[in-house]
Amino acid sequence: MTTTIANPNQRFETSANRVVGAGIVLAICIFLLVFVVNTAMVQEMLGYTRQITARVPTFFIRMALLLTAVAAGLFMITGHSYYKRNKLAVTPWLFLAVGLAFFMVYVIVPIFQSISYSFTKWNGLYDINGVWTGKWVGLHNYRILLDDPNFWTSLKNNLIWLVLYMLAVPIGLFIALFLNQTVTGIRIYKSLFFFPFVISQVVVGLIFAWAYNPEFGLLSEVWGWFFCEMRENIVGNLTRVCSVDPPSILGDSKKATYGIIAAGLWPQIAYCMILYLTGLNNVSADQIEAGRLDGAKGWKLLWHVVLPQLKPATFIAIVVTVIGALRSFDMIATMTQGGPFGSTNVLAFYMYEQAVGEGVGRYGYGSAIATVLFLIMLVYISYFLWRMYQDEKEGN
Amino acid sequence: MFPVPIEKNSAKAQIAYKLALPIALFFWLLPLLAIFMTSIRPVSDIATGNVFGIPSSFQLIQNYSEVFAKTEALQYLINTLLIALPTMVLSVGMACLTGYALAIYKFRWALPLFFLFVAGNFVPFQILMLPVVNISVKLEIMNTVPGLVMFHAAFQLGFCTLFMRNFMKALPFELIESARLEGVGEFQIFWHLVLPLVKPAIAALCVLIFTFIWNDFFWATVLIQEDSSLPITVGVRTLNGEFVQQWHLISAASLLAAMPPVIMFFIMQKHFIAGLTLGATKG
Repeated sequence: MTTTIANPNQRFETSANRVVGAGIVLAICIFLLVFVVNTAMVQEMLGYTRQITARVPTFFIRMALLLTAVAAGLFMITGHSYYKRNKLAVTPWLFLAVGLAFFMVYVIVPIFQSISYSFTKWNGLYDINGVWTGKWVGLHNYRILLDDPNFWTSLKNNLIWLVLYMLAVPIGLFIALFLNQTVTGIRIYKSLFFFPFVISQVVVGLIFAWAYNPEFGLLSEVWGWFFCEMRENIVGNLTRVCSVDPPSILGDSKKATYGIIAAGLWPQIAYCMILYLTGLNNVSADQIEAGRLDGAKGWKLLWHVVLPQLKPATFIAIVVTVIGALRSFDMIATMTQGGPFGSTNVLAFYMYEQAVGEGVGRYGYGSAIATVLFLIMLVYISYFLWRMYQDEKEGN
Repeated sequence: MFPVPIEKNSAKAQIAYKLALPIALFFWLLPLLAIFMTSIRPVSDIATGNVFGIPSSFQLIQNYSEVFAKTEALQYLINTLLIALPTMVLSVGMACLTGYALAIYKFRWALPLFFLFVAGNFVPFQILMLPVVNISVKLEIMNTVPGLVMFHAAFQLGFCTLFMRNFMKALPFELIESARLEGVGEFQIFWHLVLPLVKPAIAALCVLIFTFIWNDFFWATVLIQEDSSLPITVGVRTLNGEFVQQWHLISAASLLAAMPPVIMFFIMQKHFIAGLTLGATKG
C-alpha cells in the first residue's frame, strides 16, 4: 500500500485482485458448506458413530467455514470500487451483518414461527422423510384455551405476580433511602444488601423452599418461638409440641403462590434498591436545599422534590420488575413445579409443561399459551419503545 | 443530599443508625446465613432439630467435598464455564459491531433496527422456545454446549446492543468526523479510536453477561437433556431430587452454584453496578 498514492492505477489493480481472490475463497467456502460437509461424512471421517459427541466437531467445522466465507465476503466488498464510492451508506450494514443475522435467526423469526405454530396441532415431530406431521387447525387452540381452568389459574397467578412484584419498587426505594448515608463502611453494607440479586434464582428458590419447610425450616423455627415448646415425651426424648402447627406454605394451594412471590421479591428488591441508590447519587443538591429553605421536609420533600428527579430510576425499576414478574419460571420450577394441584402455575411454566413436559408434547397448544404471554408483554414493550422514541427525539 | 445526612443529627440518632445497619443486614441476609450454617453442620444435627444453633461439629470441608465426591458437581461447574465464557465473548464482540453501526452512522434504518434489538431483548422466553429447539435440532447441536452458547449469544445480543449503542452515542462525534477528514478508514476508526474508548462498557457488559448466563436455568433445561453437558443451575436442581432430606448437602451444592457470580460481583463491583443502572440517571 506504500505506492498507492504515487500510482493510482496500481491501487485499482490491487483492489481488483483482492475482489477476485476473496471471491474464490468465498465460492470454495460456500461450496464446501452446501455440498461437502454433511454430518454423516465428517462423522465417518473422524471415526464417530452417530452420537452426541460427534455433532460438536461437525458444528465447529461448519462455523469455521461460515466465518471464512463471511470474512472473504467482507474483504471482497471493501475492495470493490462501489464500496469506495458509497462508504458511509454501506459500512453500517457490514458492521451489522453478523449480529443482525444471528438475532434474526434466533430471536425475531422464532417469534413469528411460534405464533404460526399456535394455529396448528402438532407434537413437534417430523416423519421419516422430514415432512411436517402437524395439522392446521385455525383458532382451535385458542378456543380450548378459553375453557381450560389451568390457563385461567395461570393467568390469574400472572396478575398476582405483576401486582405483588411491584412492591419491590417502593421497598427498594425505602432501603435505598435507609442506606443513602456516608458513615464508615456503608459501601460494604450497600453491596451486601445487593447480594441476593447476584445469586441464581434456582438457588434462591432452594433457599426459600428450605426456609418454608414446616418441620425444620427457618419459618418453623421462628414459629416455634411463639407457639411451641420442647417437652420430654414418655420415652425421654425431647419433642416439639406446638399449640398451633406451623403452616406448610408451599403445600397449601392458597398460600403457595404468595410464598414464591415473597421469595422472588428478595432479589428484585435488591435490584430496585441499587437503581435508586444510583439515582439518589445524582439528585441535585441545590434543589433539595431550595426545597428545605421553602420549609419542605420528610415525606413532602421526598414526594415533591426528590421523586420527580428519580423518575428515570423509577421507570427502569418498573420495567425490570414487570419483565421479571412475567418471566417468573425458575422459582416455580424449583419450589413447587406448578403444584399443589396446578395452583402456582403461571403462563410461562404452564406453557413449558404443555409443550415439552413429560408425556405431553402439545406444541400447538403450548405456542398458543406463549402467544398470549407474548401479547401481554407486548403492551409493556410498546410502551417502553415509545418512551425511548420520545427520548431519542428530544436528544436529536 | 436526601435524606438528611446522619452526621447532622444528634449523637443518639447516629448511634441508633449505626446499630440498625448490622441488624437490618442480619435479617436481610438471614436466609443465606441460615443455609450457610446448614451447609457446615453434620446431618445428625438436622435430625435432632439443631437447625439454627451452633453446629455440634464443623464439617465445612467434609460436606463440600462430599458434594464433589457423590455427584457430577465438578463437571457441572466446568460446563457452566464452557457455556458462560464463549457466550460472553461472542455476544459482547458482536454488540461492539452492531452498537457501533447503530450509534455512529446516520441511516434511515438505524433507529428501527435499534428498537428491534431492544424489543427482542424483552420478549418472553416461551415464545422462542419451540422454534429454537427446532433450529438446534436442524443444526444438530441440540443437547450440546455449543448449541446453548449459540442461542445465548444471539439472545443476549439484544441487551448488549442496547447498552453499547447508548454508550457509543455518548462519545463525542467530532472525534470520529475529524478522523474521517484525516482519511482514516471506517474500520480503523472503529478499531483504533472507538474500541479503546468503550473499554469500560465492554468490562461492564462482560461481567453482566457472565452472571446472567451463569444463572440461566430455563434455556439449559430446554436445550440440554444430556447429563454430561448440564450446567450447575440445572445440576443443583437435579441434586435436590437425589439428596432427599439431606439438606446439608443440598445447601452446600446451592452455595457452590452461587459462588462464582458472587466472587465476580465483588471483584468487578463498579462495572457491575454501572452496567445494571444504565439509564437510571439520565434525563
